[in-house]
Amino acid sequence: MTTAVVLTNLILGAVYTSYGIMTIFDLKRGWKHFGFSHFGMAWIAMAFTCGPHHLEHAFHLASASRGGLFHVVSTIGMVCRPISAVSPAHFALTFGRGNGPGSGGPLDLAVVLVGFPAGVIWFLLRVEALRGGRGDRFVSGTPKWVAALPVLSAVYLVAATIAAIGILMRSGAAFGPRYTPNLLLLLVYCLIGYYLLRTQLANREPMGGWSVSGLALTVVFPTCGVMHAVFVVFAASGRYDVGTLGLVIDWLAVPAAIYFVWVVRSLYHGTVDDWNQATTGATTDVSAAPALVA
Amino acid sequence: MPRQASDATAVRVAARVRAAAAVLVAATGSFLPDVHGRQAALFIVLSLVWVPLASTVLFAADRPGSRFALYGGPVIDLAVLFAVQVLLPDSREAVLLGYLVLVLFAAYTAGRSAATLLAVAVMALTVASNTIVDAPDRLGVTAIVPFTAALLALVLLQERLVRQEARATAKSQRLEGKSEAILARVADAVIVTDPASHVMQCNPAGERIVGRPNAEIVGHACVDVLGLRKGERALDCSKGCPLLQDAALPEVAGGSPLDIQGTPGVEVWRMAADGRRQPLLANASSVLDPDGNVVEIVHSIRDITSLKQAEEAKTLFLATASHELKTPLTVINGFAHTLLHYPDLDDATQQRALEAIGSRSLELTKIVDRLLLSSRIEAGRVSVRLDRIDLLPVLEERVHTLAKATGREVLFRCDVTALDVIGDRDAMVTVIDHLLDNAVKYSPEGGAVAVDADMTDDVVQLRVSDQGIGMDPEQVAHCFDKFWQAESTDVRRFGGTGIGLYIVHSLVEAMGARIDVLSKPAVGTTFVISLPRVVELTDGDNAEVDDAAASVAGAGEPTSIREFMRQIGVPAARKEA
Repeated sequence: MTTAVVLTNLILGAVYTSYGIMTIFDLKRGWKHFGFSHFGMAWIAMAFTCGPHHLEHAFHLASASRGGLFHVVSTIGMVCRPISAVSPAHFALTFGRGNGPGSGGPLDLAVVLVGFPAGVIWFLLRVEALRGGRGDRFVSGTPKWVAALPVLSAVYLVAATIAAIGILMRSGAAFGPRYTPNLLLLLVYCLIGYYLLRTQLANREPMGGWSVSGLALTVVFPTCGVMHAVFVVFAASGRYDVGTLGLVIDWLAVPAAIYFVWVVRSLYHGTVDDWNQATTGATTDVSAAPALVA
Repeated sequence: MPRQASDATAVRVAARVRAAAAVLVAATGSFLPDVHGRQAALFIVLSLVWVPLASTVLFAADRPGSRFALYGGPVIDLAVLFAVQVLLPDSREAVLLGYLVLVLFAAYTAGRSAATLLAVAVMALTVASNTIVDAPDRLGVTAIVPFTAALLALVLLQERLVRQEARATAKSQRLEGKSEAILARVADAVIVTDPASHVMQCNPAGERIVGRPNAEIVGHACVDVLGLRKGERALDCSKGCPLLQDAALPEVAGGSPLDIQGTPGVEVWRMAADGRRQPLLANASSVLDPDGNVVEIVHSIRDITSLKQAEEAKTLFLATASHELKTPLTVINGFAHTLLHYPDLDDATQQRALEAIGSRSLELTKIVDRLLLSSRIEAGRVSVRLDRIDLLPVLEERVHTLAKATGREVLFRCDVTALDVIGDRDAMVTVIDHLLDNAVKYSPEGGAVAVDADMTDDVVQLRVSDQGIGMDPEQVAHCFDKFWQAESTDVRRFGGTGIGLYIVHSLVEAMGARIDVLSKPAVGTTFVISLPRVVELTDGDNAEVDDAAASVAGAGEPTSIREFMRQIGVPAARKEA
């Protein structure tokens, strides 16, 4: 269990950090033509706090669990080997961990797995765009899997909440100031998710469908927020220890996320100029042909 | 509402400081070891209440005139200070200082009422905290009452001083700014003289009309500076301002605002620095002191050169248009009369008469069409449809048509097989026809008319040349003016309404192209039109373009930043008005 949590967090951490690096290149390319982008900078700040948060969580979890650093090496080693070369003992040692302090639980794994596909899809689309591809896919109409998303989200939230309450009740949670940045991030990420959802809903009718890129982003933020909330549950129940490095990263993530929301709201209200004001192609306003005399 | 711009800035800065402080304090609290009980509760409250609320105020503060940012910020600060006072009684001195700063800041930004309310709330909360905290941590009432009274007094005093100063400054600035703005922006010259006709003040329009800087105007005699004449007589200022007498302007009492609206002006003129006669419309008004003595005379002078030129152009146009219309009408009338009264004419003669009527009618139609097009351009009702067009067949057709109609040889040179440009086909036909007509008309000796077309990397250049009478530089400068003709009415040899080149210039500009004139008297004239060229891209070119686009973030859409903006619904580029 812990290994799976470690692995998914490692991948997500790498993806978000890579995304931050891609955005730095984006910002650098556009700076001389369109000037500084608050939006880009805020997004970079978020990517560079979100990515390291997942990486730190993975390493912290791996090193704190039984076996410590061995567990991390073992995990990476197993992933790198062909499946035939993995001995049953190694597999059991790596994935068959208990639920003691410092080990990942099913809830932690579940919430990471829910956000995982959306995060990776968005990342892959951005990589595609960077390589000159479309960077998006269009879903015509509202297929069943899209229509099911609200119901699935509700079920997911209810299940996660019940599981979290169960964990807290069993362990006798002790809430402290060290957990607050994660709750603030839950709040801010849900707000960003709301902005994204609002835009996707508004775009649906004129587009006649959905943007996969938009849907992925809309899913990423609230699920990321829920991951932080579950982290708090595990930490409050004594299962995870909040390390100083993790706390520093999370407290850096809070102003980064607030900065991002400030930029988005300012752009909505037109009080900040950004790349949305830069036009990239000339358009010719075609009017009625004149009846010219010869 | 903030009372002035600086207050709005203060609110914005305060919101940023508050948000930063909230995050910093909350973060610090979470790093402290062994935080338990009330301390832990305080830091949790600060994290989960103060940080979100401070962020909300931060977002609101960017919207001009946000009441939430103005009043909500101090209220949140008050609540936070109260929470600190209750949960950390040891910090009560610091909290009292915080209250003081908070109320004074509110007095500056939100005004007296808000600050007074806050001061009262401070007193109430401080008293209330005494019922919550343990006895040793309570504040003495004797400390609270003078503190609050001092706070209120400070608020009232600060508010009064700020308001008085702001009111006086604003009034003074408003009057001064208004006066300066009026004088600076008004199109008429405003020249103020003393009773002895020495200039005391002159606005920028006055400097332009006189043609001298302010330093060479102020202090000098009015007659030397302006040198106004009426008819051929110089106006004499020695016995008072003649404009006052001529215009019979009403006098206004000193101290009251001048009202010269509707007063008649006197048409005068002066010799400009460049030696031309400068027509002016002038009037004057005297300013009296309370005893009825004249202290100042305010002159208002308007340069009516362009008005006079427009009048002359209109007169000229009426004369030329009438002449242009009358010539074909006379022919039509004559042949119609002949056909009517001489029915026995042979068929060939009748046929020639009908052909003459037909060709002259066509001529009339052309003149009327030109006049209509000109008036539509003037009214801004002509638009062009920009598209990709091949100019080569258009040129060949128009050159052929002109040669056939006039019997003149027109040389056409073009070394390429296609002239793809961005333009409007109908507009280009009109432009080419006018230029060819012009070239034929102004080369009466039968000099060669030539049309050349070539292209560079970016543009297609079209040249229409004649070996006619040509123009001098001044004529070149005015040749695109409406109703302008190179020769005056007295010596006109070529006819025309003077609007052809105006139409050409207007249409070329509307297509985003450019027209230049090269001319020399008695040698000839060449009109050069430069149109944007359509570039065909080869594979290599495409790669180059792609690279160029990729080098511009945003041009190589979609970039990550722009894509995220799109998905989160950030409004796209605002359209320029």
